[in-house]
Amino acid sequence: MLARRTLLRAGGWAAGLALIGLPAAAPAAAVVEIRMRGNADGSKVWFDPIGVLVEPGQTIRWINIDPGNAHTSTAYHPANAGHPLRIPEGAAPWNSDYLLPEQSFELSLTTAGVYDYFCIPHEEAGMAGRLVVGRPQGSLSAATLPEPARRLLPSPEEIVRRKAVRATP
Amino acid sequence: MLIRTILIAGAFALAVVPAQAQSVDKAPPGGAYKKVSELVKLPDFLPGMGTLYVDPKTLPAGPFLAYDHDGRLASTIYMIPVEDIQGQKTFDNLKAAGGNVDHVDMYYNAGHPGVEKPHYHIVLWHVSKADEARVAK
Repeated sequence: MLARRTLLRAGGWAAGLALIGLPAAAPAAAVVEIRMRGNADGSKVWFDPIGVLVEPGQTIRWINIDPGNAHTSTAYHPANAGHPLRIPEGAAPWNSDYLLPEQSFELSLTTAGVYDYFCIPHEEAGMAGRLVVGRPQGSLSAATLPEPARRLLPSPEEIVRRKAVRATP
Repeated sequence: MLIRTILIAGAFALAVVPAQAQSVDKAPPGGAYKKVSELVKLPDFLPGMGTLYVDPKTLPAGPFLAYDHDGRLASTIYMIPVEDIQGQKTFDNLKAAGGNVDHVDMYYNAGHPGVEKPHYHIVLWHVSKADEARVAK
């Protein structure tokens, strides 16, 4: 797993390289962007898309576009405050820490499987997301998911079929 | 004579303006109030609310004092966790330092750093409905 926390918007690196006269290397696959969103009064918060299919090694970027809140991307893993394991066995957990508006966090996952993650201050409100890397390896039990996330998360099969699943609460 | 006049004027001012309101009308408020964005990771200015200050000892309920871009007090906000409402918890003697209240809003919030649980914002506006625009963005 590789992770990077950054203030740059999509394309920022390429623009920076162009300014100093260096060609930007073409990425192996397009960066998958997941937006952290909220409505005006903070009553709704969500990952958009909520479910995404990615290839092993593909870069995933979470960006906070909610002007009035901070969000995290945090793996369901015992290393993150004792949360249940909901990523493939042996895969490294991640935690972006709080991202203020316009801040982003990047990650690439190389172990195939299903990864569930959540936002620390909004887990109880159901702000969770699901990544499918490669093709699903077995099925995930919903038993250890909090009730709001259980209702919202799409199945791995639906994510594979649609590649990206959006769900506005 | 002059000293007597000043003393009378001062006593009159103290009588008509609540002592606490004197210290919180403009940001930063005095006493134990701290800027929320310095206590937890949140933007300095929150669209719809403004720049918030709170006495950390009063979390999560508050009061939070919310100021506009010019440092003028716009509202006093209480943040009451939904689980406390469902649990019929009593909140007694919450401070109300902000002076006159024009109107009150109550709305659900999914949570944020500092008050991570879903909760209700109870907003005592010290400005008119139209002047809420001062903290809109």
